[in-house]
Amino acid sequence: MTIRTCLLVAAILAVSSPELLAQGTDLASQTLGRAYWHVFAAYAIGWIMVLGWVISIARRLVSVERALKGS
Amino acid sequence: MPENRLQRTGIALAALGTLGAVLLLWMVFFWVPTERTLGIAQRIFYVHVPSAWIAFFAFGIVALCSGVYLWLRDERLDMAALAAAEGGMVFCTIMLLTGPLWARVSWGTWWTWEPRLVLTLLLWFVYFSYFLVRNATENPDQGKRFAAVVGIVGVLDIPLIHVSVTWMRSLHPQPVVLRPDGLSLDPDMFITLMVGLATATMLFLGLFLMRYTVECLKREVDQRRTGSRAAQGA
Repeated sequence: MTIRTCLLVAAILAVSSPELLAQGTDLASQTLGRAYWHVFAAYAIGWIMVLGWVISIARRLVSVERALKGS
Repeated sequence: MPENRLQRTGIALAALGTLGAVLLLWMVFFWVPTERTLGIAQRIFYVHVPSAWIAFFAFGIVALCSGVYLWLRDERLDMAALAAAEGGMVFCTIMLLTGPLWARVSWGTWWTWEPRLVLTLLLWFVYFSYFLVRNATENPDQGKRFAAVVGIVGVLDIPLIHVSVTWMRSLHPQPVVLRPDGLSLDPDMFITLMVGLATATMLFLGLFLMRYTVECLKREVDQRRTGSRAAQGA
């Protein structure tokens, strides 16, 4: 009975634990997925920051041109 | 009107930079080979290094314009320094955000207090203080002078960042392009890096010119307002 319980617990752990899962499958592909997420995030940050600066400049340009026409 | 010409040049450069960015994305995700030891995460290199280059280039412009501004007191130099500082902050922030994303995969940590990271963070804070000092004084001219001093002092950090990997124990790799014994980068990776550097430079110069134009127009509005107030007072 005890051996059966131990085997059952071990089987559940083997299925549920990501670390143990990684050992059973290709480890390189496990880290590859995370690395891709990081690469996408890095390029998204670059685009968002530059776009933010463009929008900020455009808004100030519109506001200052309006002020110039008004004065 | 010179502002119009600057604005048009700025828009043209920014448009070229955007096309370059699209080409860079294609090269990074579909063309450049994957680095053998660092894997997919090494592709962050092509956004991280150009951002670092622009941050240093922009802060170089800030220091140069600030130094000459303190000497000649020409308002155009102060406006150029302000526009470059804003762009430098944007690209320095990109560098500081993309670095940890790469570090998490390569070093197993988002951040570590190693010399190059600390000195780069210091640079970000120095230029953040450039804007704080500028707006913290009652007298705008005094604010410009104080900011110019911060801009000059801040640039001293850039050579320290460059030599930090050779002079101090650092997790950052040794230089792969600017090294005495020549280039140690795969030719395809080098081409992609060059496209990244050219793209970032065009985007920065385009937006820098546009930001400079905005500042010129803003000061023109301020002058007109001051003039009309003085006329009303008389």
